[in-house]
Amino acid sequence: MRSQTAFYIDVQRCIGCFTCAMACKNQYHQIPGVIWRQVYPLSPEIYPYRERAFYSLACNHCQRPTCLEVCPVKAYFKRDQDGIVVHEQEACIGCGNCIRACPYGAPRYNPEQRKAEKCSFCWQRIDAGLLPACVLSCPTEALQMVDLASLDRPGLVQYPPGFPRFPELNPSVRFRLPSLPTVVKREDI
Amino acid sequence: MNGMELPLVVFTVLSQTAVGIVLASLLGRYAAAGPETDPGRPWGAAAGILLVGLLASLAHLGHPTGAVNAVKHLATSWLSREVLVTSIFLAILLLGLPLMRRKSPGWLLWLAAAAGIVSLVFMGMTYSPPSFPAVNNLLPTVFFVLTAAVLGPAVVSWFVRGSTPPVLVAVLGSVLLLALVIYLIVPCIWLSGGTVMQNTGWAWIGSPLYWLRIVLGLALPLAVVWKTRDIPVWLPLLLIAGELLGRAVFFSQTLHTAGNIGGLY
Repeated sequence: MRSQTAFYIDVQRCIGCFTCAMACKNQYHQIPGVIWRQVYPLSPEIYPYRERAFYSLACNHCQRPTCLEVCPVKAYFKRDQDGIVVHEQEACIGCGNCIRACPYGAPRYNPEQRKAEKCSFCWQRIDAGLLPACVLSCPTEALQMVDLASLDRPGLVQYPPGFPRFPELNPSVRFRLPSLPTVVKREDI
Repeated sequence: MNGMELPLVVFTVLSQTAVGIVLASLLGRYAAAGPETDPGRPWGAAAGILLVGLLASLAHLGHPTGAVNAVKHLATSWLSREVLVTSIFLAILLLGLPLMRRKSPGWLLWLAAAAGIVSLVFMGMTYSPPSFPAVNNLLPTVFFVLTAAVLGPAVVSWFVRGSTPPVLVAVLGSVLLLALVIYLIVPCIWLSGGTVMQNTGWAWIGSPLYWLRIVLGLALPLAVVWKTRDIPVWLPLLLIAGELLGRAVFFSQTLHTAGNIGGLY
């Protein structure tokens, strides 16, 4: 398998602190309303406990990215060396087709620049030997950068409940599901 | 519906009207009791309407001056293909206008009709991405063909000499009935789909725009055509308004998968 950089999301470790989203904002200073990384709480239908669980999501840098396929001006390309999907803003004409087409809502419209934009996986930082800002900032190491070509951890899932399933896109993201909360009964003490 | 999509409402309805006019003109030429028209007039109307539609489509671009680059990705982008074929359709209409006024050759009509039908299909594919499960299928193409089939005969009736020929009335009445059935059934079918599809069904059914579209754009015109056996001169205006309302519902009430992340699918 070719190298494919991916996000590993350990839902069991994630505490929903939004530090990853803030780190992204600090790094790129997106204008208000333009969000590259979002922390989604799981609904009670999926995780029906007083404790809560979260998915921290950004662009999934899909193996077959629909944003890249639908873009009429070839403003997207996928890097050969690591599979990161890069959006070239200079080429973008702001048609919004990628925004409509991505089932994960990754590309966002920047009303000031009148162009789309999305998570770049901090490829400039990666090329400089650094971790992406979101991964670096995570206080619980719930968000990690992995290479799917060499990833060998048991029990990971690609499409957990609450995450849209699109095998034809093959999103480069893996999840470790949250465990059931520990119930401490009086007789256990 | 955000502001970016209003130009798409106008563009899709007008460009489909242009295709419908060409198809209705073809019907007029070859049907046994087709309408007698000066073929140059509906052809010119189709060209003008499509031109306005394409100009409107520029308004949804953040950078309209880059529109010419939109044909760069023909290999995989349905939008690139749509832009190319719709531009070819417009070129045929504009360049063929003098010829159509003088000689009205049949081959030109067939050529325009073929380009128009292909543009309808490509347009349908453009608006059926995986992110909208309710319309990630042939439905957009069906909706767009219905728009062309409703508005084509309706607009051509303006250019007919004398009373409206029965064939135009029959086609419009049949298509209106078919469209009414499809537009009433489709949201109900969505209710038995996945969560996003179900929510789309409820969004359509709960939208006043949807019911305005059903009543003003389909049921009332059908009743008028049925009762009068004619296409009154004001009816095409009501039909255009109905199609614009219907397209606004399509763009504003069809739900995106990303809106439900963290919930059941």
